[in-house]
Amino acid sequence: MDLFFNLAINGLATGMLIFLLASGLTLIFGLMDVLNFAHGGLFAWGAFSGVWVYDLTGSFTIGVLGAIVTGLLLGVLTEWLIIKPVYGNHVQQILITLGFMLVLSEMLKVVFGPNPIAAEPPAGLEGSFQLGDVILIKYRLFIILIGALVYAITFFILKKTRVGLIVRAGVMDKEMVQSLGINIRFVFMLVFMAGSALAALGGILLAPYSGVIYAEMGMEFAILAFIVVVIGGMGSFTGSLFAAILVGLAQAFMAYYVPSLSLAVNMLLMAAVLIFRPQGLFSLKGGA
Amino acid sequence: MTNLQMNKSTMAYTLCAIALLALPFGYDNRTILFLITQVFIFGIFAMSYDLLLGFTGIVSFGHAMFFGIGAYSVSIILDRNEPTMFYLVIGAIVAMAIAGLVSFIAGILTLRLKSHFYAMLTLALAGLFLVAAEKWRSLTKGNDGFVLQIPELFRDRTNLYLTCLISLIVLFFLVRRFTQSPLGRILMAIRENEQRVESIGFDIMHYKVIASVVSGVVASFAGVLYILSLRFVDTSVFATEVTLDALLMTIIGGVGTLIGPIIGAGIIEFAHHWLSELSDVHWIFERWIILFGIIYILAVIFFPRGIVGSLMHMWGKKRYKKHNQTKNEQKKVAS
Repeated sequence: MDLFFNLAINGLATGMLIFLLASGLTLIFGLMDVLNFAHGGLFAWGAFSGVWVYDLTGSFTIGVLGAIVTGLLLGVLTEWLIIKPVYGNHVQQILITLGFMLVLSEMLKVVFGPNPIAAEPPAGLEGSFQLGDVILIKYRLFIILIGALVYAITFFILKKTRVGLIVRAGVMDKEMVQSLGINIRFVFMLVFMAGSALAALGGILLAPYSGVIYAEMGMEFAILAFIVVVIGGMGSFTGSLFAAILVGLAQAFMAYYVPSLSLAVNMLLMAAVLIFRPQGLFSLKGGA
Repeated sequence: MTNLQMNKSTMAYTLCAIALLALPFGYDNRTILFLITQVFIFGIFAMSYDLLLGFTGIVSFGHAMFFGIGAYSVSIILDRNEPTMFYLVIGAIVAMAIAGLVSFIAGILTLRLKSHFYAMLTLALAGLFLVAAEKWRSLTKGNDGFVLQIPELFRDRTNLYLTCLISLIVLFFLVRRFTQSPLGRILMAIRENEQRVESIGFDIMHYKVIASVVSGVVASFAGVLYILSLRFVDTSVFATEVTLDALLMTIIGGVGTLIGPIIGAGIIEFAHHWLSELSDVHWIFERWIILFGIIYILAVIFFPRGIVGSLMHMWGKKRYKKHNQTKNEQKKVAS
């Protein structure tokens, strides 16, 4: 039982981190048909800049804020420099965002050095506590809590506010929204910034969780996020939450029981979804 | 007119090929010859990439996986058995069969969906192969990789050079023939307008899968040659950088031109070589990939035809003008 809870919490925490990355990706894709292959780079930049600020100030909260600010700034930059010139051309979008990913992860090595950087949880979140005979690691619970909170806030914004209404409508049919006199390009930029900030938040939260950060982690998590987006359905926010948790849990359990298959299981999940339900489990519009 | 032009380009290629064939007999700088061999190998690899991106409009981010499949299949078979020609051929056949199968599966899973899906699936699949190569230590010896014996014939650098060059030439003409065949024309039509081709009555899925398989098989052959030139294999053959190299070569050389990616391979390999040497001068050259990333982004935005594509475009325009001029002059004379 002890083991089961540990694995489940581990999986949930990983799932939440992937969710932070995947939710921005899926909204951007749903809204503007842009698949941002540089999203993982924003994730890694969030982690490195956040840890840098954290080490500098000694406060984890300020570190997290630093990561979010980095995410917002990089989001504007990416949208303005990289996405805008190739708007409407799929192949070019895919090519250029991958190139930007390359530049982002190499720039990380230039700015922060090529070596992995260690990161520790803040004092208040270190250690664990016991509940019955189950040992709960505080930081993992903290990640799950933050993930749930982000989901709740974003869900509220999407469902209850005017901006959310516009975004949801834009995912369904962006020409229609445009024709109603709403500047969908501006909305898109906001979503892009928010998505980047979420990715950066995921990055800084990952740092103390895995204990070490390195430039290649952007690509590793980006692959997981792509799998999640395919499983959850392009453009579906709730879908990416469920799929992320599914992928996180599958990975945690497989890593313990059949370690050699831990990545394969996600691929198999994705292959199954692609065969039987190519639009994804929760898709709002056809993915095909 | 087109026939004449075709002969002209074939003649130019043949002249280049003869010059390259004669090169190792008159010039024996081992480093440079090795580098040129690498250019041939990556030329084949980039050409296979161009077949997908340039001729069919499919973006693959996992092309390294076919390269790696070729590399590992042949090295494992040569390592387990005696390093003879026979096992080398067996290894190459196994490599191409596995690559064909994997590209077929990837193709039928995602090619009926939007272009993003193929890119994502191949990226994820390549990641899977990389992890498998790292974890399946009994087969691949993990991260350390292993040194292998190769057949006597290819231990001589000149022989290897000639083999790679001849493979490149043969494959180039084969692939060019393929793209000029009716099937290749359909692939290009799919690139230009998928819906239209479908509405004419072609099963586009069928053709896209063929493109995917042919490209995968050619890429795995490049992997086989790569291992012969290195005589050492490790997990880096599956790295994303390999895919990125192919992408850079294709984009910078010229998408959809076949000769462009080969020229691109030359540029990237030589630039890589010289920029790494410059890293003693300033540390920024160690991160030469940033430079390439920026050039690549700029190329995608401002220079999407690449070097060869742009040259051909300019040349075509000029010829068109000249053609019109002579026509006008003829008209004047006639009137």
